[in-house]
Amino acid sequence: MSNTPLKQDYWSYVKRQFSKNRRAVFSARVAMFFAFVAIFADFIANEKPWAFKDQTGWHFPIVKEYASTIGLGKMPAEWANMRWLEAEFAAVVRAPIPYSPTTQDFNNAQFASPFEAQDIPSLRWRHWLGTEKIGRDVLAALVHGTRIAFTVGLVAMSIATFIGVLLGAMAGFFGDDRLRFSRGSATTGIILLVPAYFYAFQARSYTLGTALSESFLLFLWHFLISIIILLGFGVMAWLLARPLQRVAFFKQKVFVPMDIFVQRLIEILVSIPRLFLIIAIVAIAKPSIMLVMAVIGLTSWTEIARFIRAELLKVRNLEYVEAAQALGYPSWRILFRHAIPNAISPVLIAVAFGIAAAILVEGFLSFIGIGIPPEMLTWGKLLALSRNAPWWFAIAPGFAIFITVTLFNLIGEGLTDALDPRQKK
Amino acid sequence: MFQYIVKRILIFIPTLFVISLFTFMLSVSVPGDPVEQMMGGGGSAGEMGQSSSKLASERSYIDKRKDLGLHLPVFYFALSNAATPDTLYRIPRKQHQEMLSDLIRQYGNWPQIQSYYRSIQQLDLAIADIPSDGTNGDAKIGMRDETYMLFIHPEDFAISGSLEKMDVHTKAASSMMALQPKLQAVIQAYSEMKATATPRLNYIPSVHWYGFDSQYHRWITRFLIGDFGISYQDGRPVKDAVWLAVGKTILISFLSILLTYLIAIPVGVMSARKRDSKRDQIVTTVLFILYSLPSFWVATLLINFFGGGDFYDWFPTYGLGEPDDSIWVKIHHLILPLFCWTYGSLAFVSRQMRGAMINAMGQDYIRTARAKGLNDDTVIWKHAFKNSLLPIITLFATVFPFAISGSIVLEIIFAIPGMGKLAFEALVARNYPIVYTVVMFSAILTMLGYLIADIAYAMVDPRISFSKK
Repeated sequence: MSNTPLKQDYWSYVKRQFSKNRRAVFSARVAMFFAFVAIFADFIANEKPWAFKDQTGWHFPIVKEYASTIGLGKMPAEWANMRWLEAEFAAVVRAPIPYSPTTQDFNNAQFASPFEAQDIPSLRWRHWLGTEKIGRDVLAALVHGTRIAFTVGLVAMSIATFIGVLLGAMAGFFGDDRLRFSRGSATTGIILLVPAYFYAFQARSYTLGTALSESFLLFLWHFLISIIILLGFGVMAWLLARPLQRVAFFKQKVFVPMDIFVQRLIEILVSIPRLFLIIAIVAIAKPSIMLVMAVIGLTSWTEIARFIRAELLKVRNLEYVEAAQALGYPSWRILFRHAIPNAISPVLIAVAFGIAAAILVEGFLSFIGIGIPPEMLTWGKLLALSRNAPWWFAIAPGFAIFITVTLFNLIGEGLTDALDPRQKK
Repeated sequence: MFQYIVKRILIFIPTLFVISLFTFMLSVSVPGDPVEQMMGGGGSAGEMGQSSSKLASERSYIDKRKDLGLHLPVFYFALSNAATPDTLYRIPRKQHQEMLSDLIRQYGNWPQIQSYYRSIQQLDLAIADIPSDGTNGDAKIGMRDETYMLFIHPEDFAISGSLEKMDVHTKAASSMMALQPKLQAVIQAYSEMKATATPRLNYIPSVHWYGFDSQYHRWITRFLIGDFGISYQDGRPVKDAVWLAVGKTILISFLSILLTYLIAIPVGVMSARKRDSKRDQIVTTVLFILYSLPSFWVATLLINFFGGGDFYDWFPTYGLGEPDDSIWVKIHHLILPLFCWTYGSLAFVSRQMRGAMINAMGQDYIRTARAKGLNDDTVIWKHAFKNSLLPIITLFATVFPFAISGSIVLEIIFAIPGMGKLAFEALVARNYPIVYTVVMFSAILTMLGYLIADIAYAMVDPRISFSKK
């Protein structure tokens, strides 16, 4: 036999099935191109040149800017107010789109049309998709909007995946009667619940609140500390329960109906129309893109949880789980090391569709002007600007949203086909 | 069946309870004072004149607050700390409450904080009683502004700064010197508060039970008997506004779903019948594109192109017409929004219908039906179609919330006075009674959608029996 045999493991099989779907493969490639644009947006559309030469030699302002944000060196002071577009250099290499999304081209303000002559020195400076009211380049805004859209999609779905997998897996794996605590732990746990909440959140509410108004990352850090305090109380409850368990009554087991709990939670979340919920939360806080991502993530994990719950209901009765149980492994270890890794693949489908939905929601939120800081130009906001604009203005940003959403939907479809065992031949 | 419905409705209750708690808690954490909002802003800084008129305006503020039920504790119980008194909610103004709870966080000695607060109030009244003459105008305004700052700023540097400025103001005119004792009292109370600080009390938890006379209890019990409170913006009952809006949204959602099913079922069946033909491929592609088109983009484009922008002025793009307009005018208004409302779910349902139909046509009983010589139409409609309907009916549970959610997008764009627009505008204006009510209604409608889907499912498929479970 000269042919190398096809790899028969699960992921190779999925990969083969996926690559049979030409539309999905093509979509994945285009999505990768978009991701490239998102990552290198600063190099693609920027008023600062890639490199320029003056008396002191070559300079790389964009790289320098990156370096200064992570603390390596400082931007020269004269660059802060530099008019990059008019500046004269001995030699210069400009970005393919020589405008930043914030650059105002006063000669071509008031919706300079992409189809008509523009007041520009050469074709190099053309606004290929026109400008908006105060002369900002639409194409540059689109390129940078890609970054925002992709970040929102990925971060929101990371949050959703984390919550969805955790809750869904616990619901599926433990069901209503497999998560057991001794009566002792349950008693101490319930007693400690109030102080745990108090010290983790209530006593820290001022710290958490000021952190949130400062930056979302700081908030996350303080939130993590709160979670650690909460876990500390959990450990305390467990330790306190140990002496209690000498009493026969406290030694008996009680069930935690994990499945009912998660199912009810899902039902509550899907009962409130998602947009109402997101808008209600986002509208009362200070506009911040991180908050938008977090809220989208926190409200879109239900589908993922359902997928993985259904999968784990099957997996938990398979032989290898039983074998692990027979070997005496603790149930947490079986869940995270054995059950979840074998049930994770359908989640990919929900994630792909979820990214599309998250980008759509972010587009809509910025369209109605909620949640996104005013200085940030996103696809949705460009679309909102088209209200009193010429007809061509609404095409490009809407098309960008549409293409991205379609790409992820197609990838999701491809994954559905590739992972669906009914299609196995 | 009946038992099942009752059981489902009983399950609704805890879900609705949690949703009501959630929206209520959200509203409590909102910045802004609804009473001031209703009274047209102003606050403490606005009033001039005698202490009697100041007291009168304070009285009317308190009355309004009582009307809105905001003088009650928020919830049945509160988890708090030993430093915070359980009567803090009685302080009328929300801004003052926030200032005081920040002082409690810093110093933790409520009796001293309270006497500090009272001394500011005394000073405030005393300022109003100083007769205005030609010499003290600026100093009086300065004093009033600084008292206002004291009422809302808990930071040490802000308080010290204000107290110093006040000292200067009282010395600026002879008539202002009468305020010195009151000012000294404030300074005295402030330094005493700082000297006897016990911030550690903040770290001792305490639970206080307020009983049933709370804001939440009042709201939820009145909600259940159909009294949704009054709107903060115009003082009119929320009920009227919400009923009108819910009616419009339900009407459009219903029309949209009806259209969806009327078009999607034949399209799906035809597409499946001529599977993989040229026509099927075109239909499938078009449906997929429709499915991914963001409705707010389509709406914007339609308005730009057909709503009197640079191109055609075929359709009105604003509202649903006047109440006394003829039915045709209303339909004319409805065409664009209804299109945007429908195309997404239409694409979704058609694709599902096609899939279900293809699935049904691959079954053995279809082969049997063909083998016994039934004609094609009977096989398709009587055997395949009936069986493929099942999954389509459950889709109602997806399509209906989709239509309700869609309302928020399209009602804003087309200025249709429905639930979505109402909720959005109320949220932006922080008009919370309307927000609660709309969120509750949308939740009830969504759950009803699920219930209807379940019942329909049981009716179509005799194999499914809920009562046995």
